[in-house]
Amino acid sequence: MTVSSITEQSGRVVVALTGEIDMENAPQVRRALLDNMKQKRDILVDLSQVTYIDSSGIASLIEGLQVARKQKNDLVLVSVSQRARRVLELARLDKVFTIHPDLATALAAVKS
Amino acid sequence: MQTEIQQPDGAPGQMADPLEFAAALSRSFAQTQDVNATVREALSQIVDLLKVEAGAIFLFDEIRASLICRAAVGPVDVIGLSVPTGSGIVGRAVSEDRIQVVEHAYEDQGFFAEADRKTGFVTRSVLCAPMGVGQSVIGAVEVLNKRDGKPFNAEDQNLLRVMAASAALAISNARMADRLVAQERLQREVELAAEIQRHLLPEETDAGSPISGLVRPILEVSGDFYDHFELPDGTIAFAIGDVSGKGLNASLLMSQTASLFRCLGKTVRDPSRLMSILNREICETVSRGMFVTMIAGLYDPATGRLRFANAGHLPPLVRRPGKQSETLPADAPPLGIIANSKYRTEEVNLDGGQFILCTDGITEFRFGDEELGIEGLDMLINMSRGKPIRDRLKAVVEELERAGWRSRDDLTLLAIDDGMAAAAWERHAESERAAPETSDFLFGLSFPADPKRLKLIRPAIRAAAEACGFDEAEVDDVLLAAGEAIENIIVHAYAGARKGEIALAVHRMADGLMLRIRDFAPNVDPAKIQPRDLDDVRPGGLGTHFIRAVMDDASFIPLPDGEGNLLELVKRKR
Repeated sequence: MTVSSITEQSGRVVVALTGEIDMENAPQVRRALLDNMKQKRDILVDLSQVTYIDSSGIASLIEGLQVARKQKNDLVLVSVSQRARRVLELARLDKVFTIHPDLATALAAVKS
Repeated sequence: MQTEIQQPDGAPGQMADPLEFAAALSRSFAQTQDVNATVREALSQIVDLLKVEAGAIFLFDEIRASLICRAAVGPVDVIGLSVPTGSGIVGRAVSEDRIQVVEHAYEDQGFFAEADRKTGFVTRSVLCAPMGVGQSVIGAVEVLNKRDGKPFNAEDQNLLRVMAASAALAISNARMADRLVAQERLQREVELAAEIQRHLLPEETDAGSPISGLVRPILEVSGDFYDHFELPDGTIAFAIGDVSGKGLNASLLMSQTASLFRCLGKTVRDPSRLMSILNREICETVSRGMFVTMIAGLYDPATGRLRFANAGHLPPLVRRPGKQSETLPADAPPLGIIANSKYRTEEVNLDGGQFILCTDGITEFRFGDEELGIEGLDMLINMSRGKPIRDRLKAVVEELERAGWRSRDDLTLLAIDDGMAAAAWERHAESERAAPETSDFLFGLSFPADPKRLKLIRPAIRAAAEACGFDEAEVDDVLLAAGEAIENIIVHAYAGARKGEIALAVHRMADGLMLRIRDFAPNVDPAKIQPRDLDDVRPGGLGTHFIRAVMDDASFIPLPDGEGNLLELVKRKR
């Protein structure tokens, strides 16, 4: 279970990722992000349940971010687990992505 | 009209106190800050005092080697008129440095009647005095036709001579003041440029640092520069450069090059590519005939590995313990000459030795008839054995100063001491490769190059790392590094072919954990899986950077051709 849920909240898509994300399942993450971007909506990616993520997973997130920005949407990270935050920091991407502590804050911020 | 200079009735010869006249002109200049206004003021007073119909002041123009009319009073405007030195009445006054008295202008061969013809003015008599300051003549003042119709007499001649000398003094003072103002402005600009340059140089490193540099400029601004900074993975980027020429232009090009390096050096991890980009940038902006010689590179204190590219600069001096010092020559051209020049990345392992860079101010330093040369520099460095590299560079310059430094060029040194880095990293020959004999072999695994196996292997590595006493975050880091290494093999070594085999061996060491990961694919060029440029946000290429960032050591162990690749990862306990 990598993409555990895709829900819609206040007109935004929330994609929740779970467990270990590596080269095997990173393509699923990529697909989920890009598919949900076709409707030109902002995407919130919940990383609270991510216990392992490597460069392949990070690459999927970057690609999602690039596509979102290109079509003037946003892709923001929500409730980033300690492990995911460590890897984002190693890649120096913690300042590239917008990171919100929880879903409520993220929804409020994306709306405004 | 009453002039400023009062004229006591009667004797015109005593009337104009020349000092007062000069002082009045100086005051006029002080008010206007304008040499031309001073010249005009001088002429209008002379015309009034001598009661003449017209007058003109000609000043010597060094560039055109002629006399140019700078002020004119009367019906004929001859401002800008150019008279070749030595011709005409004015030219004669200057070349002979003698007052010229011409009673009947039309009878004088040198008289220039063209102006009369054009304007209808009729020149009868001419009085023309040279204007001199000290030994040099700066021009002449000419007056035409006394208003009372009489010829110029001796008193008129005296008066004009004195006034001409005073005017010359005032004009010369005004010019000097003008030049001083311009010089002060330039001086302020130079100070500003020097200030900017000082900010471009890195701060002095402390005694424990493996890298250190210094500059001794001969002018306020310098055409030399050096820089070094640490990248996020601990690698040190460095550069030294020497701009052709001196002074403000050279220093501006130096500032531009140094800024470009600061900016590009953080993201471009291949020295030859960095040089090509710098070269193209500089070719686009550089003024003709200027260029930059430069060496730029990357040094990894963790391994002693150093990569650099040389653009027409003096060769680096490499000093290794127990070995003869050597220089590493290169033949690529300097930056700013040919836009598509090719540069090569050279690689060297310092093995605890030193890598010394300098500019030609050092090597061309003269002891009597002998130039210091690279050999001399090697000798001087040798003299301060046992000291931190920072102090050894200072000792070199002190030694040169003691010997009477009269260099015509800036002195710049930049040095890397791998011995200090090795000591700091405890990188000794025996511990460099944690030999499996001295470590405890925990387990080995062999599996196909298939991403699906990754999640099956992680629990085993996790257990080993926990057994070695790492905390949770460290265990996660080991998992990340191992995962990235295996993914690299899948993608790069086997290029996605799932038939390939991967072997993993896990060892416990006294102070940590060692992973050896082997594939059986053709040899991998480590340069191809270098850490990517972190500022370049794009998917992929991050794995090697992660491995370097979280492990203490990551190196390929050479295997015979056809035997595949063996990567050794070491994580030590803090």
